[in-house]
Amino acid sequence: MNEATNDTDPLLSVESVSKSYGDEQVLSDVSFEMDRSDVTVLMGPSGSGKSTMLRCVNRLTEVDSGEIRLGDMVVTDPSTNVDELRRSVGMVFQDINLFAHLTALLNVTLGLRKVRGMDAETARSLGVEHLERVGLGDQLDSYPGELSGGQKQRVGIARALAMEPELMLFDEPTSALDPELIGEVVEVMRDLAAGGTTMLVVTHEMGFAREAATDAIFLEDGRIVEDGPPEQLFENPQKDRTAQFLERITSMYDS
Amino acid sequence: MSGVVGATLAGALGCAGLPADWQFVCQNADYLAGGLVLTVALTIASLLLGFAAGFPAGAIEVYGSRYAKLAVESVGVVLRGTPIVVIFIFTFFVFPVTTWFPIHRVLPVSDAFIAAVVGLGLRSAAYQAQMFRGSLQSVDAGQMEAARAVGLSKVEAIRHVVVPQALRRSVPGFQNEFTIVLKDTSVAIAIGLAELLTRGQELFVQETTAVTEVILAISAVYFVLTFGTNRALDRLNERYAIPEEA
Repeated sequence: MNEATNDTDPLLSVESVSKSYGDEQVLSDVSFEMDRSDVTVLMGPSGSGKSTMLRCVNRLTEVDSGEIRLGDMVVTDPSTNVDELRRSVGMVFQDINLFAHLTALLNVTLGLRKVRGMDAETARSLGVEHLERVGLGDQLDSYPGELSGGQKQRVGIARALAMEPELMLFDEPTSALDPELIGEVVEVMRDLAAGGTTMLVVTHEMGFAREAATDAIFLEDGRIVEDGPPEQLFENPQKDRTAQFLERITSMYDS
Repeated sequence: MSGVVGATLAGALGCAGLPADWQFVCQNADYLAGGLVLTVALTIASLLLGFAAGFPAGAIEVYGSRYAKLAVESVGVVLRGTPIVVIFIFTFFVFPVTTWFPIHRVLPVSDAFIAAVVGLGLRSAAYQAQMFRGSLQSVDAGQMEAARAVGLSKVEAIRHVVVPQALRRSVPGFQNEFTIVLKDTSVAIAIGLAELLTRGQELFVQETTAVTEVILAISAVYFVLTFGTNRALDRLNERYAIPEEA
């Protein structure tokens, strides 16, 4: 995946992105960059624009102004083929959104067959491989309704991963899960981060952010309040607002 | 009309020993069976036409452009708001469909049959469109989003993710629709189509003491058809149900 020629350019660059819904400014002038194998965590109170930011990257939401680039692709250019873009960007949802009528394996292979045009046999073996990678090699034929929340989200990760995207987006992947099921999902995400997957993650999992992230961004009211390496942001925040927010979620998660 | 006293079915049933009016019904079992065949054929053809037109119409109501929606909805409102007898009068007398599409010259069916299929089929399409619209809309929007995020186009996402789930949810509604269409085939008596009820009427006009018996026999046939088919559709529903937590 790492082409030598591209190594110096950022994989993802977000430049002055703004977005509003009616009178509500959801994102104002947001800019950041990600290199390959970076793991960037987006944090902030609800309504701060984190999820919107994520959705702008694969154009589930369109920006009002600003530019997003992914490799050579100008994401925000209206002439960019969204289906092609989405082939390069995997997404994991808060609501998981597994295809309810398909088994775990078929959830993973649908995109492989219909988007990447693989034959059933190749898709199957790749699907099995990715489900094994998230520890679900024994649940290939289970339907989403038969899986626990944590297992479902792991299938969701495998489904996105199997497409071999250049960038993985995680939109609060553990927020809808029972507390005891969060660990297994975070563990899979940690493994991915360690394996060099480029990840943009909206989460409040401080443990994950501390251990796995290369960058952390604190958003509020659609603006970047502060960003930097997680150790700096978490241990020595420069802005009061960041400190306050971190204190609140830390006490919430530690209790 | 073919022989009033059937040989085969009546013979098999062994009509002797029955009370006189039941004996009359029994002896004419073949004649009624001929009507039954027509009723079943009419039901199936109408439901198929209803599906062929109703499913795309329902999809247009959900995914179509504003004008396409408006057109489909308007036709639907008219069809759902018109009594089936009136629709038959239109398809048979006012704008006889067989004038433009003389299908009855190619297929071994009457022009009344074609008019009835078109009438029942179009009206069923209007109802099936509502049914499919509802089931398409009932599929969570996250399913479409996830499909698009994987890189499927909108059409592929509809086809591979939304429709398979929507169709499963349509079975109970389809059971209603089947039952209604089956029973409303009897309204084709108004355009003289020799379906089950029409043949029954011909019989009890001949043998006026047997009105109750003939009507009861016919009702039993409708009941067996609706009950049997609904049970079969229940099976289908269970067979293709999306597995939930055990």
